[in-house]
Amino acid sequence: MQKFIAIAGTNSDQSTNRQLLQFMQTHFADQAQIDLVEIKALPMFNKPADKQVPAAVKTIAAQIDQADGVIISTPEYDHAAPAVLMNALEWLSYHIHPFVDKPVMIIGASYGSLGTSRAQAHLRQILDSPELRARIMPSSEFLLGHSLQAFDDQGQLIDQQKLAKLAGLFADFQTFVTITTQLKHANAANQQEVRDFDWDNL
Amino acid sequence: MKLVGIAGSVADQSYNRTLLKFMANHFSDTIDLELLDIQDIPMFNQSDDQTNSEAIQYLSRKIRQADGVIIATPEHNHTITASLKSVIEWLSFKIHPLSGKPVMIVGASYYDQGSSRAQLNLRQILEAPGVDATVMPGNEFLLGEVKTAFDDQNNLKDPKTVGFLKTTLTKFVTFVGVINQMNAKAAADDWQSEDLNATGHVATTIDGVDMHAADWVEQAAKKTGAAEGQDYVKLDRGVLTVDQLNYFLNSMPMELTFADANNQFIYYNHNADAADMLAARTPAQAGNPMADCHPKRAIPHVQQVIHMLRTGQTKLFKLPVPGNGPEKYIMHYYQAMHDQQGDYQGINEYVLDLMPIVKYYLEHTGQVLAKDPTAKADAVTGASAKAATPEPDSVTGASADSEPKPAPTTPAVDSISGASANE
Repeated sequence: MQKFIAIAGTNSDQSTNRQLLQFMQTHFADQAQIDLVEIKALPMFNKPADKQVPAAVKTIAAQIDQADGVIISTPEYDHAAPAVLMNALEWLSYHIHPFVDKPVMIIGASYGSLGTSRAQAHLRQILDSPELRARIMPSSEFLLGHSLQAFDDQGQLIDQQKLAKLAGLFADFQTFVTITTQLKHANAANQQEVRDFDWDNL
Repeated sequence: MKLVGIAGSVADQSYNRTLLKFMANHFSDTIDLELLDIQDIPMFNQSDDQTNSEAIQYLSRKIRQADGVIIATPEHNHTITASLKSVIEWLSFKIHPLSGKPVMIVGASYYDQGSSRAQLNLRQILEAPGVDATVMPGNEFLLGEVKTAFDDQNNLKDPKTVGFLKTTLTKFVTFVGVINQMNAKAAADDWQSEDLNATGHVATTIDGVDMHAADWVEQAAKKTGAAEGQDYVKLDRGVLTVDQLNYFLNSMPMELTFADANNQFIYYNHNADAADMLAARTPAQAGNPMADCHPKRAIPHVQQVIHMLRTGQTKLFKLPVPGNGPEKYIMHYYQAMHDQQGDYQGINEYVLDLMPIVKYYLEHTGQVLAKDPTAKADAVTGASAKAATPEPDSVTGASADSEPKPAPTTPAVDSISGASANE
């Protein structure tokens, strides 16, 4: 069974993005193991001179390393991904590189009707940067708008059409993860490049 | 032109901060650029609202008071730093100091791209509805290969780069002027929101006492257990008894009035009866909302003046009240009061007759008053003389010493209404 890490891109106590991942965790339990990871406790990224990555970051990096893929559910703040998610990704690309060639599925939930469309595009751009180099599932978006009304009391997605779309995309992601294992011709070179990346001698 | 600069980095060594410092020094003849630190701003968290923290309020206040903002952004992972994004999230959550504010984006990076993607991303973020900044279009300043761009004195080495930066900055100065003029026009009617009935509430408002009561002072004192007589009060730099404080204030060579941030008239130095005052006040008026202290036709002018002081368009508003003959030249001064954090706390109005001072000066310097042949206004009659004169000169009109001037649609304060005149 495939094993995934799910990151809710928020430090808010209440988040429909977290709720969406929790729903996936239970709803797709017979298809895959999904472990939720929180990014709230990470300090502000400050490019430390001693290059020491906090232990909490290393823990998440290790979890990502061992997972078959990562699902990120992003809120949208000011037309972009939240600072707290950007911060986690900054740490996860500073002298450690768990995202290199890692399959990633991007989803998002918002109170309004747009369902974080701009934040998702922003997140794609970030994950494509040289220090992250994730394998983002292409041409797929899951936008959950009006998310406060989207779940019932049991935390189930109410809209069956939305659910069908999510189930389809998740099945696609599982296939994408399998295919991606074959998209590794440049993996060794990629790994070498990020390892050689040297801030001091730029 | 007063600008603030924000370097989008919390790293100890930041070339973007170096770039802003260079701009502040090198272009000090064009702009007054103050650098703001974002080191102390915590990670944005909507479940842990820290909008009222000192660090965020300080940043917000500095931005509000500036004519424009320059942001220097690094690029991390094809986007701006989380630390800069976090700042913008705080400044768009409960407060919106960047709203309508002219912003110039610059950036420096290790590679030759000079933070191009981060700048594009920053534009998008600054234009989000909650942020609502007015970003100068075009004119990208991308400083690539930043590690070799500065000399030992942290000056940019390449004269062409400096030249381009200067061109860009010059355009921004013009842009700031245009945008702020546009905003001023849009905000011209904001003064109408000034509530002279004092129906609002500030931290020091004394609840449960009728503001209109003739004995408001006695009731309010009782209600708050106010110090009086020989009770000591600790002041900013001194300790006085209430009696001493009264002797002190009542011996000031001017009439003083305190109106709080809620537009409630709460004090005047009662050193004479109304009939003997330059601007009459009666004991029963203390505690009144400001609306009660002015004739109806003066209300809009009062609102405008208060609003200018509250919003920082001016710190001091001066107004001569003519019609007192050649023996008196009565000036009303309205001074905005602020607490240590710079937040508006109300108005200190002082009224005095300048004539004795003028006469003293003439007597002791052997000079006489003479008309200035080049003067555009009658030097003696004051406010009403040439109210329509477009350029306020040194003596006349309501707007004479207010910087910036009231919005263009503001009707000139007329000769009698004087914000505090009591008829």
